[in-house]
Amino acid sequence: MQALLHAIVEPGFFADGAVQIAATLGGVVAVVAGLIGVFTVIRSQAFAGHALSDIGSAGGSSAYLAGVAPLWGFVGISVLAAAAMEQIGVQRARGRDVATGIVLGVGFALASLFLYLGMTYHNSSGEIPTILFGSVFTLSAANLPLVIGLGAVALLTTLTLYRPLLLASVSPELAAARGVHVRVVGAAYLFALAITVALCDLTIGAILSTALLVGPAAAALRLTDRPHRAALLAAGISLACTWLGLLLAWDSFYWPPLRHGWPVSFFIVTLVLAAYLAAGALARGQTKRG
Amino acid sequence: MAALAITIAVSACGSNGGGPAASAGAAGGSPGRITAVGAENQYANVIAQIGGRYVSVTAIMNNPNTDPHSFEASPSVATAVAAAKLIVQNGAGYDSFMNKIESASPSRSRRVIDVQTLLGLPAFTRNPHLWYEPTTMPKVAAAIVRDLSALAPAHARYFDANGRRFDATLQPWLHAIASFKRLHARTPVAVTEPVADYLLQAAGANVLTPWVLQADIMDGVDPAPQDVTLEDNLFKQHRVKVFLYNRQVTNTVTESFLKLATQNHIPVVGVYETMPPGYSYGAWMLAETRALSEAVTAHRSTEGL
Repeated sequence: MQALLHAIVEPGFFADGAVQIAATLGGVVAVVAGLIGVFTVIRSQAFAGHALSDIGSAGGSSAYLAGVAPLWGFVGISVLAAAAMEQIGVQRARGRDVATGIVLGVGFALASLFLYLGMTYHNSSGEIPTILFGSVFTLSAANLPLVIGLGAVALLTTLTLYRPLLLASVSPELAAARGVHVRVVGAAYLFALAITVALCDLTIGAILSTALLVGPAAAALRLTDRPHRAALLAAGISLACTWLGLLLAWDSFYWPPLRHGWPVSFFIVTLVLAAYLAAGALARGQTKRG
Repeated sequence: MAALAITIAVSACGSNGGGPAASAGAAGGSPGRITAVGAENQYANVIAQIGGRYVSVTAIMNNPNTDPHSFEASPSVATAVAAAKLIVQNGAGYDSFMNKIESASPSRSRRVIDVQTLLGLPAFTRNPHLWYEPTTMPKVAAAIVRDLSALAPAHARYFDANGRRFDATLQPWLHAIASFKRLHARTPVAVTEPVADYLLQAAGANVLTPWVLQADIMDGVDPAPQDVTLEDNLFKQHRVKVFLYNRQVTNTVTESFLKLATQNHIPVVGVYETMPPGYSYGAWMLAETRALSEAVTAHRSTEGL
């Protein structure tokens, strides 16, 4: 048993300081992403979520340039971009992709400028992979209060609006007829989404962060139709992928090329895909039997 | 803006810069002087010391607040390179942007000294910080004397005398290395990045930081948490006597090491990729070597030059 455990978990994993911080931060973010992500999938806002996360690269790079914590950059730019999308018309299905696409383009343009300036005038090293692909093992514990606070804001916003948001997501017309301010509810959700995306940007990077937001939620919705059950399931899947990803990244230090750990984000995102495919297979199995 | 900086000014005007330099102009070269470029300001400094009043030198990388490993060239760099008759660059992938710019403005009369090639090292030399190796610069200086003499044969004796004077300026540094080696051989040290490794090797110090961690920090990729823990323990368990901190390649990981070293009262020596302002090459190397020995003998930190 002991030998088996050692083969799966290379020594030192649980005792390592960087692992403990990464598991705590990554865990909080994973749970928030899973819960919030279910609405993203129900509302078909995956592209908006992806755009917000990509735009995060502009926020992260500007934060480096200004010498403040990257999370502030991610949150600031994400909320700003969400506001811009709301104004241009992300609520309407027709204008949505166009508005999202335009804001996304501007975000990348800003990122290219800030990264260039950062590399030319700054002594920091490795900011590009960190911003784009994340580096959860290098995060400091100082991030924890802020991550928990922001996660709580996103969750409370979504929880407060749970019923009207659900109705507005499934049938905007019916919601409007029942007196729900569809646009206000949508804007509030977009705000919560922007914060969630910023948190994912911090742990698995601006490019990959949608995987954590959309993947576990989509997998959960393949297994159940009930939104609250799907949200809890998504949080569980997301947490499992994150923690298992950390473990595999730790173990990969002992794989070839030796002493080079593989990037954590690679494992997390690959596990998310595996969970999505497994959920699909499971769902097909259920319908056949049913 | 930061890229093109000190065009090293020399007061007296050269009477005869030797044919080719007449075309100069663009990059601050004045007529009659040989226009030269040092890809890093330490090489520019050596060119200036040898070329003296007959050469006008531009340094491409000279900002001590940037990471040369991720430097990107701007159009002004291309202008300087196009006008140059003599270029000294490091090679070993450290300044490969220079090769691109040179091939964009080909010139048959331009002489390029690639230090890695000059030293007969392979292109995949894993530690590119060749100027920290005490035997490097005298060879580079000799090559500069040779090329400047070919560009302006009338001043060959002047360049030759300056070359010998340059070698002499390195003596205090070489003595400092020799005495460190005699008194403190096998001193255990930690580093962030391999910038001063050649110097540490020459001084007989024992670098305990794993190579992969150094390379990861140099290359700007995430180090494995196992290696970070290993480095953390070098400080926590007081297994090293000095921590050499590269001021120009920093990130959250190196900052956490710096904090740990300070907490554990391990003296810190700030080291640089390019020459800090106010120094010549020899004085810079001497200052870093002295800082290293003061860290060992007097337990004193020199966080920055």
